[in-house]
Amino acid sequence: MRIEKHSNSLIDYNQPLSFVFNNKAYKGFKGDTLASALIANNVLYYARSFKYGRKRGIIGAGVEEPNALVSLEIGGRYTPNMKATEIMLYDGLSAVSSSNPHSIDFRAMIKPLHRFMPAGFYYKTFIKQKVWSIVEDRLRSLSGFSKAPSEIDEDVYDHIFQHTEVLVIGGGAAGMSAALEVLSSSKKARVILVDERENLGGELTNEFTTDQTATLWYQETKDRLLKYRDEAGSRLKILTSATAYAWYDHNYIEVLQTIGTGQSMIQEGVQSARKVLHKIRTKEVILATGAHERPMLFETNDLANIMLSQSVRRYVNEFNVVAGKEIVLYGNNDSIYNTAIDLRKHNIESKVIDVRASGVESEIVLEAKNLGIEVFQGFAILKAKGKSRVTGIEISKVEMQAKPPHWKSKWRVTGDTQTLNCDLLATSGGFNPVVHLDCHCGGKTYFDENSQSFLAQKDRKNRQLCGAVNSIGFWKDAIADAKNKAQLTLLSLGEDNEVNPQKLTNQSRNYFNVDQFFTPLEILNKPKVFIDLQNDVTTLDVSLSIREGYQSIEHIKRYTAMGFGTDQGKTGNINGIAVAAEFLDAPMSEVGTTTFRPAYTGVDFGAMAGRELGDFFDPQRFTTIHDSHVNSGAEFEVVGQWYRPWYYPKDGEDMHQAVNRECRAVRTSLGMMDASTLGKIDIQGKDAREFLSRVYTNAWMKLAPGSCRYGLMCNEKGMIIDDGVSTCINDNHFIMTTTTGGAASVYSTLEMWLQTEWSHLDVHLSSVTDQFSTVAVVGPNARKLMKKLCSDVDFDSKNFKFMQWRPGTVCGVKARIMRISFSGELAYEINIEANFGRFIWDEVAREGKEWNITPYGTESMHVLRAEKGFIIVGQDTDGSMTPMDVNMNWILAKNKPFSYIGRRSFSISALKSEDRLQLVGLLTKDDQVVLPEGAHIINNKGVSVGYVTSSYYSPALGRSIALAQLKGGLSKMSETVLVKIVQEKQGLKEIPCEVSSSVFYDTNGEKVDGNE
Amino acid sequence: MFSIHCPYCKEPRDQNEFSPAGEAFIARPENPEALSDEEWADYVFYRTNLKGDHWEQWVHTSGCRKYFLVKRSTISHEVIEVATFEEIDSENAS
Repeated sequence: MRIEKHSNSLIDYNQPLSFVFNNKAYKGFKGDTLASALIANNVLYYARSFKYGRKRGIIGAGVEEPNALVSLEIGGRYTPNMKATEIMLYDGLSAVSSSNPHSIDFRAMIKPLHRFMPAGFYYKTFIKQKVWSIVEDRLRSLSGFSKAPSEIDEDVYDHIFQHTEVLVIGGGAAGMSAALEVLSSSKKARVILVDERENLGGELTNEFTTDQTATLWYQETKDRLLKYRDEAGSRLKILTSATAYAWYDHNYIEVLQTIGTGQSMIQEGVQSARKVLHKIRTKEVILATGAHERPMLFETNDLANIMLSQSVRRYVNEFNVVAGKEIVLYGNNDSIYNTAIDLRKHNIESKVIDVRASGVESEIVLEAKNLGIEVFQGFAILKAKGKSRVTGIEISKVEMQAKPPHWKSKWRVTGDTQTLNCDLLATSGGFNPVVHLDCHCGGKTYFDENSQSFLAQKDRKNRQLCGAVNSIGFWKDAIADAKNKAQLTLLSLGEDNEVNPQKLTNQSRNYFNVDQFFTPLEILNKPKVFIDLQNDVTTLDVSLSIREGYQSIEHIKRYTAMGFGTDQGKTGNINGIAVAAEFLDAPMSEVGTTTFRPAYTGVDFGAMAGRELGDFFDPQRFTTIHDSHVNSGAEFEVVGQWYRPWYYPKDGEDMHQAVNRECRAVRTSLGMMDASTLGKIDIQGKDAREFLSRVYTNAWMKLAPGSCRYGLMCNEKGMIIDDGVSTCINDNHFIMTTTTGGAASVYSTLEMWLQTEWSHLDVHLSSVTDQFSTVAVVGPNARKLMKKLCSDVDFDSKNFKFMQWRPGTVCGVKARIMRISFSGELAYEINIEANFGRFIWDEVAREGKEWNITPYGTESMHVLRAEKGFIIVGQDTDGSMTPMDVNMNWILAKNKPFSYIGRRSFSISALKSEDRLQLVGLLTKDDQVVLPEGAHIINNKGVSVGYVTSSYYSPALGRSIALAQLKGGLSKMSETVLVKIVQEKQGLKEIPCEVSSSVFYDTNGEKVDGNE
Repeated sequence: MFSIHCPYCKEPRDQNEFSPAGEAFIARPENPEALSDEEWADYVFYRTNLKGDHWEQWVHTSGCRKYFLVKRSTISHEVIEVATFEEIDSENAS
């Protein structure tokens, strides 16, 4: 319910807002979170729990909330699994619980079975019994998380790169103070101040109710910061509603800032980003991340309206809402008294139950007593009563044992239980400093007995800790601590300032005034004492885990799923460690923490993608001839970012028909292909020839200018990495072509050899892939067309032989014409300056009409080359194939003086084994069956002995052909093997095939000179 | 993500401009044919994989395309030193 307004409230009562939650309409105000607005409307239940389907209410007020997960909005603005405590209310908001607490729940119906569902239940019951596949779908749909979005996100997200000297994470008292100190002490240091809430101040705003000096300090500091932010040449950026969720190497920190939660981001026709991902590189980090409160443990501590004490305090102070009338505060530290006092200031009565015995009492305890607040010291809650919401508690006196055995809890329950009524229970079991970020990048934690918490390691380069994360709980001390740390930061930046360290007070009113974890076995051994509310992990699950041998905290976490939820165990994890310590009879420091990894909070996929979607997902490369292919109706395939024509369908042809037509044209008359995408590397220098000899397996010393040669490139392991034709322009100048996809990596590898091993060689490499266009003219009539196009070259086959090149003028354009062939047919590749590509392509097409010249794409190219048994590196080889494996021993030079790359490996025994996969041809007995690529060849035991790498229907042969890697294949010619495939409607079939040579067509190479 | 100072561009740049290129100071044997299989395998396959300060090769792929040397702690990932091949070789590397 909403309480009377007071002056420090962040709520603007003049701006009422309407919203819908679980299909019911409610009213709230500007400044509310969804959670505070719902508490104001007396909404109790937000979710069904993950495993047991128990109704759950809100326990937190911010990022730590484990229960109140909602799906926000619908359609293109749908966002799953958001915390109601973090959603700022806006007019028209609509949200539903991630798991509807009001639906009938299958799990809730089997409630009596709960004691049979310990950790590992699903595994033991379903997976071990091999029925998991039957129940998995049903169980998954019951889990307490939102459905995945089904529509494309209509919002946009931005990435911003930021550079700064100092990044302050946390905008509470400590963070504000640190930022201001850096700015005022330094003339040049830039600062970015980040906080996850909409307003600066953090938990300090809680003090406003009782401490006027806090209000004054906040106003003054905020005004000074804003002045720094707004001045000309500002050195300060303030990012609010922004969570630093990951800290990576070299002080690279990612911050996700929410601009709008769920409302439309389109205003006056302009669409702004819903969220911004800041990628911040900083020299220094100041962590002022604060601390999260942990709950107390007792039986059925998961009932609705059992909350965290600080959250109740924040809801009252900041949002003027409170979830009950009969309020009990329970804990082991001073902070519960602050909550009680604040409630009293709002005229709300409460009782305090403190497990610590009366005796030594701090200032705040005395203050509460003086106000007449009823205090039970030395009492503990054993059990919360109520069906789904808390209606009362059972309490009992507890006492400390003077000498507890080993590390066992020193607490013992004594005396009779008595019952108190209450409708809101707020607990505090101490505070967990938010050390997550510090641990993302190698930081360690240690257990501090004083504050009963895990603290970040003290010293770390370029990082300071201040405030509550440093176990300082009193705001004035946090401010002083922050100033000192800011000075240390400036020192680390090399700025010499006079440092006057400020003394901290006597630590009065410190939240970290805490007693040991209250974990007596009398309570831990009860059922339904929940540690992790989101994953339904109880103390008995931890006990079971330990008994079954999972004793490391990392194993306990994985066995029980403790801390795996979207809240990442922010409230539960440390309690879980304390429970484990109790069962293990070991100190907290020995049990240790689980590993904190990024991300600290959930990150939208949209924010990660930013604008790199659709056309911006990957660079697209087009040849200069592309538009002509589009005009011809080509279908495209993407090869190494290039859009290559795949085939050119005509008059409603399918791919098969188009490819058959294109292949027939090349074999019988004339075809043309855009070969511009092949990688081209210009190699110059007087050692160019020597260089080629070292990186290719064959001989290059005698290749004359005017000639071309095919080369095969291996790595030092002896495995094929690339192939292509290199052209000798003159003794000091070669042009190497590489595979389209391998161009970049080959270029890098060549540079590596030159720069790291052979810097004495006079060789210079330039990538010229984009500088040339290549039009291939292919088919028996190619010479006739070339004569028509180019008059200054002698195309006579005796003078311009296969594997030679000539400079010439094609249609008035200077060209290098290479007579090379990837199809076995007579072929010329016309290389011209890139921008003449389209012109030459169109001229070739026009002049070739009399031979019915046919453009063909990569699919026909593949069929034509497979008919000739030419390999494609990366398709017929996979990085584990040697030249011998692909039957290319002929390309291994024997007498080169330099032991070329890969050569030594060829003589390693493993590479000489007869049983290696070797490239062979496969001919199906039924010549119309085309094997699927990737299909396995099996032996008589059904075990794979190889696989199909390339498979096509060959129009020239009128049958199917395939290339395959077969164990010992080269010595199995003419043998019959079985290939296992799945045929439509017929299921698994074994197809008999004959092992053959990998050259299927024109085996003697008679076609290469074409028609005269 | 690392921030690496390129010794040629003389500026710190983000890691995504660079590619790692393995351990440094592994010279290709002068005469591979004279080596035993074990010695050859040692050059091709075996690396020190040490815990501590490690000299490695990086290439400024999306920048000057130069290969250079980086001494990096494999524990903290701190880059301790960068150098060109002219500045440092296996003899004077510390």
